[in-house]
Amino acid sequence: MLKKRGLKWAVLPAAAAVLLLLSGCSQQEFSRGFLPGVPGVTNHTDRITGLWTTSWIVLWGIGLIAWGLMFYAVIVYRRRTGETGLPPQLRYNNPIETLFTVVPLIITIAFFAYTARDMAAIEEPNANPDVTISVIAKQWSWDFNYVDGNVYDSGVQSQFAGETGSEAALPTLYLPVNKSVKVNLSARDVIHSFWVVDFLYKKDMFPGRTNYMYFTPQVEGTYKGKCAELCGEYHSMMLFNVKVVSQAEYDAHLAALAAAGNVGQLDNKYDRNQNLPGDNPEIRG
Amino acid sequence: MATATASKSTYGTSKKTKGQILVDWITTTDHKKIGYLYLITSFAYFLIGGVMALVIRAQLAAPGLEIVQTKEQYNQLFTMHGTIMLLMFATPLFAAFANILMPVQIGAPDVAFPRLNAIAYWFYFFGSFVAVAGFFTPQGAASFGWFAYAPLSNTTFSPGLGGDLWVFGLALSGFGTIMGGVNFITTILTMRAPGMTMFRLPIFTWNTLVTSILVIMCFPPFAAALFALGADRRFDAHIFDPANGGPMLWQHLFWFFGHPEVYILALPFFGIVSEIFPVFSRKPIFGYKTLVYATIAIAALSMTVWAHHMYVTGSVLLPFFAFTTMLIAIPTGVKVFNWIGTLWKGSVTFETPMLYSLGFLTTFIFGGLTGVILASPALDFHLSDSYFVVAHFHYVVFGTVVFAMFAGIYFWYPKMTGKMLNERLGKIQFWLLFLGFHITFLIQHWLGVIGMPRRYATYLPEDGFTWMNQVSTLGSALLALSIIPFLWNIYITARKGEKTTLNDPWGYGRSLEWATGTPFPRHNFTSIPRVRSESPAFDLNHPEAAGSEVQTAGKKKD
Repeated sequence: MLKKRGLKWAVLPAAAAVLLLLSGCSQQEFSRGFLPGVPGVTNHTDRITGLWTTSWIVLWGIGLIAWGLMFYAVIVYRRRTGETGLPPQLRYNNPIETLFTVVPLIITIAFFAYTARDMAAIEEPNANPDVTISVIAKQWSWDFNYVDGNVYDSGVQSQFAGETGSEAALPTLYLPVNKSVKVNLSARDVIHSFWVVDFLYKKDMFPGRTNYMYFTPQVEGTYKGKCAELCGEYHSMMLFNVKVVSQAEYDAHLAALAAAGNVGQLDNKYDRNQNLPGDNPEIRG
Repeated sequence: MATATASKSTYGTSKKTKGQILVDWITTTDHKKIGYLYLITSFAYFLIGGVMALVIRAQLAAPGLEIVQTKEQYNQLFTMHGTIMLLMFATPLFAAFANILMPVQIGAPDVAFPRLNAIAYWFYFFGSFVAVAGFFTPQGAASFGWFAYAPLSNTTFSPGLGGDLWVFGLALSGFGTIMGGVNFITTILTMRAPGMTMFRLPIFTWNTLVTSILVIMCFPPFAAALFALGADRRFDAHIFDPANGGPMLWQHLFWFFGHPEVYILALPFFGIVSEIFPVFSRKPIFGYKTLVYATIAIAALSMTVWAHHMYVTGSVLLPFFAFTTMLIAIPTGVKVFNWIGTLWKGSVTFETPMLYSLGFLTTFIFGGLTGVILASPALDFHLSDSYFVVAHFHYVVFGTVVFAMFAGIYFWYPKMTGKMLNERLGKIQFWLLFLGFHITFLIQHWLGVIGMPRRYATYLPEDGFTWMNQVSTLGSALLALSIIPFLWNIYITARKGEKTTLNDPWGYGRSLEWATGTPFPRHNFTSIPRVRSESPAFDLNHPEAAGSEVQTAGKKKD
């Protein structure tokens, strides 16, 4: 009787899993753990996707054990009508307690080892990048400096209110496909954060300091970029695009910028922190 | 002469005027009354913060909405929602439960410093009012996010008076919290009844002790940082000036407070469910000592992990903070398995407090799993500052604080008022809250993964966030509805609730509060209670099981 009842409950998670599979999320999405983008967007994304899906498989295993034990306990050990008296007053069990301390410790150390390996690879600086870009964030848009081509593109704040089609007007950063990129990140006022969603990576942009990120885009296409650190009123409108294009298109874009007169580099000369209240220009120099 | 005698004979039973009641409450130094003041005030802030959350959810229901007129107002809403929920609701709620219960659980007549206790409450009361009063200034309340990152929080970028009120209000309130912490530590260390050894303390009292130690370690740096920010804002001090690395300095100071703060929120509520599971499983807590050591380990580790909020700043030692953060999963897992061990082979019933505790455990397990994911910098680079983080911390903080708060209120309501809350309304409320919560926040994990940053007032139709936001907004409405049966329950119980005078209306209470009168007598006990184990009330009411370890205690079935 009890066995049959147990079986009945086991049907629930199975049904949930089947429902999830049938509910329209494609095999592709599921195998990537719902991460955005396609395989190989940059040289780092497959590594991140691998760690993400493996971690989730292990964690779902742990979670299902915990939920399973909990629901098993409350169902099987529920007090039935007419029952009196007390269950055995068990206070501890050292072997079991040691087990559920040591096993998680081993899992944690393994998880740390894979994390350490992957984050070292992602954060590895590249001393000789093919392309160097210098991005300056400002309330509430982006300036893109193409360092090698000595041209720049200064973004203006986007405006939209629920209508489609405003993405085309966003400031756009062009990158050549399969070329290693170094991005210098800084800000002219408050902290911002440079997030290209499909690249599965972001880094904060500080006033008065430069951060770096290194990657190689591998798939041509247009990617969504967003500011990810609260930077004031129009934070949610501080969007940009990244276009990964062929070398020829990239060169053409740089030439167009030069032809439009955007020659040279924008810098932090107009950093708004230079005239904070009470500043004495003689001291600051 | 005659009148004097008459008034003397009715002393204490005569009906007080409204003015007398008011004076009585605002001048009280009774730990229970101060606890009730904390409970009522923090619950009021919970409702205010909740209404703000509903406006936030309404604004995000479709791209381009203008439910709030300006995005600045939207920023004020989420800033004050976070500030209120963490520092005006959850933290004082710890003080509420600790004040009401801890002295009774250790067999003491009051806390060690009753007047310090009162001033701590009034610092919180006025400090919180000052911080929220920004809404009554022309430019509105603070809008730089509850973690007030420099330089956005200085007067160049956030010039309003609301920011100043936020800074100094929180500093004042913070001193109240510190005083509360000092008071609780002293009380637990010096005022335990004879026989109440440290390893016989109820788990809730243990967690109050450990939480208070965290409070006095991490709130003083926060108060200092707030004064420094205040000096920057009002006296042009340049402490957090980017020219000298101020933005990173603020982040370190803030998160050195901010991370232990989330454990200040969690630990007391772990304590509450640790009191409830044994009562409704009719078994002692499983692994008492490992639970205590796990709490201490969590608290110790929580002081070493602050920079995991700063993985994407590019200037923290990633491996160190990743490793310490992942280690926290171990004592947390130990707690989860100890709670399950308490249920195991018990005799489990599902009164409302137990239902809420099980709701907590179900929710918290998932919050713990996403926490492990976020501990890994390689994964956090993508997820940081996205809705995945929003979903994660609502699972751990709402899952812990709100579920355990309702569990605790239903559990101890008879001790506080002498009346039982209505069980049927309690169960209706639980299921509304549980479903509403999960519909609101589960989907937000996916929103974050596909790229929705937190603190966005709007988004593009092309982003593909719309339907998920709508699910979330719908869930939040259900969540809000769940508060109505609760308020109705409080009202109807006050009007015609079932009175109880039993010391232990649940029948299987373990700690000392179940061995004294209902409602609590003025000085908690009429005589010094006898304590011979960690379950003194249970020993008293179930002598057949007293002192038995594993073997005896009879069979469950006859």
